[in-house]
Amino acid sequence: MEIIRMENISKIYPGTVALKGVDFTLNKQEIVSLLGENGAGKTTLMKILYGMTAPSSGRIFYKGEPVRFKRPIDAIEKGICMVHQHFMLVPAFTVVENIIAGSEPGSNIFLDKKKARQEVIDLISRFKFNVDPDAKVEKLSVGEQQRVEILKVLYRKADVIILDEPTAVLTPHEVDDLFAVLRRLKDEGKSIIIITHKLKETKEIADRVVVLRDGNLINDNVDPRKVSTKELSEMMVGHEVNLQARRPAKHIGEVCLKVENLTVEEDGKEKVKNVSFAIHHGEILGIAGIEGNGQTQIIEALTGLRKPKSMKLTLDGKEVTGKSSDFLKAGIGHVPEDRLSMGLVKEMSVMENMILGYHRESEFCSKKGLLLKKQISQYAEKLKKDFLVKAASIYSAVSSLSGGNQQKIIISRVFSREPKAIIVAHPTRGVDIGATEYIHNQLIELRDRGAAVLLISADLDEVRALSDRILVLYEGEIVSESMPGELSEVEMGLLMTGGNYMVEEGKQRD
Amino acid sequence: MTFNAEVLYSIVASTLRSSVPLILAALGGCFSVRAGVSDLGLEGMMLAGSFFSVLGSYITGNAWLGLLFGMLFGAVFSMLHAVMHITYRVNASISGMCVNLLATAATPLLLNEIFGMSGKSPIVEAFKKPDWQWMNNIPVVGRILGAQNVLFFVAILLVIVSWIFMYKTKIGLRMRMVSENPHAASTVGLNVTAYKYFGVAMSGCLAGFAGAYLSIGQMNLFVEEMTAGRGYIAVVINAFGKYNPLGVFGGSIFFGFFDALQTIFQNIFPSQLVMMTPYVFTLLVIALGLGGSRGPAGVGKHVDN
Repeated sequence: MEIIRMENISKIYPGTVALKGVDFTLNKQEIVSLLGENGAGKTTLMKILYGMTAPSSGRIFYKGEPVRFKRPIDAIEKGICMVHQHFMLVPAFTVVENIIAGSEPGSNIFLDKKKARQEVIDLISRFKFNVDPDAKVEKLSVGEQQRVEILKVLYRKADVIILDEPTAVLTPHEVDDLFAVLRRLKDEGKSIIIITHKLKETKEIADRVVVLRDGNLINDNVDPRKVSTKELSEMMVGHEVNLQARRPAKHIGEVCLKVENLTVEEDGKEKVKNVSFAIHHGEILGIAGIEGNGQTQIIEALTGLRKPKSMKLTLDGKEVTGKSSDFLKAGIGHVPEDRLSMGLVKEMSVMENMILGYHRESEFCSKKGLLLKKQISQYAEKLKKDFLVKAASIYSAVSSLSGGNQQKIIISRVFSREPKAIIVAHPTRGVDIGATEYIHNQLIELRDRGAAVLLISADLDEVRALSDRILVLYEGEIVSESMPGELSEVEMGLLMTGGNYMVEEGKQRD
Repeated sequence: MTFNAEVLYSIVASTLRSSVPLILAALGGCFSVRAGVSDLGLEGMMLAGSFFSVLGSYITGNAWLGLLFGMLFGAVFSMLHAVMHITYRVNASISGMCVNLLATAATPLLLNEIFGMSGKSPIVEAFKKPDWQWMNNIPVVGRILGAQNVLFFVAILLVIVSWIFMYKTKIGLRMRMVSENPHAASTVGLNVTAYKYFGVAMSGCLAGFAGAYLSIGQMNLFVEEMTAGRGYIAVVINAFGKYNPLGVFGGSIFFGFFDALQTIFQNIFPSQLVMMTPYVFTLLVIALGLGGSRGPAGVGKHVDN
């Protein structure tokens, strides 16, 4: 049974056409994956459905009746709810308060906390969620917070649930939990739309895939069981992509970056326990692991942002110590974990961001300490061209750029300084396939120019595709070292979660 | 001076008296911050309340109507803050300070224009101490409460009502949600702007009330700059009391106590020393993070519609 029909939807913004006559339908008890690159128009289409923005033309039918929602609350009242990518929760409130606020039970004036709590508990048990109703939201993990968001829409009696990039912030295990929840919701009669650009997850959860590209509908009836991820990605990007193909190192040289006995203590606990490894010139060493197992601490120690309890770090045989700027000067580049909080100053221009951290070098700065505006702008123009950064100009604020282009600015800044070694953390998080492919190519080129690359990523596929050698990190310890292809995805997943898959001994520790 | 029961009574009674304007103004601050708007304009709204309550009482000859006047104009001044900050998105510290500066300049001007006087207004009808004989018969409590103005009891009532409003009603929960995360509030269909305006208007009314207490509650005339920074103290008390009506009540008593000590001990210690104590203590509390004066997370954030 058809529950939503959107006909010939167009959306024109000044200067660009976001959607060109797109049709979209959703059936009852169906999970549809709305697949597309960033900027393909999938979010715009859902914002139109949800009443967050008005279409330039087109018609929408909900349960057979024509509708036009002016505000999200109109859609919510009809039973169409959205779980936003950035959670809309109040950290200082309890789970119950977050769920009920705005639609509280009780008389007209007073809040019936007992009834509210009971209703939430009923909801939790009906859908078999695992959340403590009385916990403050700030104490919850990201996965739990997402469940609170889903409870919020269920509490509002949603029939149609739109999830915007729901897996972007989740660990692999949490993704499994989420999918189990979504299947249960489907069994209960809900219809679900997932906005995503992740192919594997689309194949895993969707009943039907709708592909958008550049505001056009490419295909609205793809059976995920009948296509490969490669075919899907080509539909989405419009040309052939090859993310999985490995390009092994051609000439691995001498040891470049050597880390010995790295121990990091935080809040009285050892977050990294006596870790040692070495990376050679022309090699990518990947560290796989679920986030929170010491990755952040390793990155911060190797870039001089944090003083570890113990570490001997040598670069081409010379010991590196001191502040983060000394590490940078020694030739250790850094692509940080979170581009907005650590990698960029988003209010500042593309140009300024392209020299951040290197702004004192004689190329950009006179001896008297004045910035050389002309040289800097020429340099920025060159990087913008070389690294295909899509921005109106080098003077645009970084905040106006898409995530992929923001990441390209960091990549251009660090890679063009030709670092001897580089620490790269989650280089393609929240970045679309086109930009991902580009960034991967850049990483491999940098490696082939002789740099030693340490790749830390929560995306196991990425680590497996790029690395020449892979370490698995679990609770601050390296639990395995392998060559690519030596271990299967399942085996690595097991190692990452502490199930100690002993490859050599072939036995399991408890 | 001998230290005896008389002194003790007088300290307690005086503490409560000096607390009232602080309670009312800081309670106003609660509403403002708990709707997501900084409360730096309290001083100006309070001063406006002092002046206009005198004017109201002068025109009508009735202290209660004077109070109403004061509250109304406190709200009018608060709307200046609201329009600048909420509608035109001026930084709330700046719009708050504008209100303070405007009130400091406008009240002497109006004093001159309306009454043709400078420095202070003519004497008007004011609140009288209630003559409750029966209260004097209650030991201790009766003596202390009997020395209070009727507005003291109104202030206590307002604290309780405000607390119930914020923590026990639906609108209170929604208002707090706006202050914590306006985007989240907006996505569940709340009119963020309306809640913010409401919170600021309430802060104006209560600050106006506080000002009226100074002019026609404790005295019977308006004196230029008679709030003497109490609005700023209320801002501190509000943070100190964790933006909670009950916390604010406690904080006001604390500051009122030092105010009372100061009047009583001014012949023994340098009064400045006694006056400094609550501020030093507050600084210590905030610096050491003991009070955890973390406000609602969404104060000053706007939602695009």
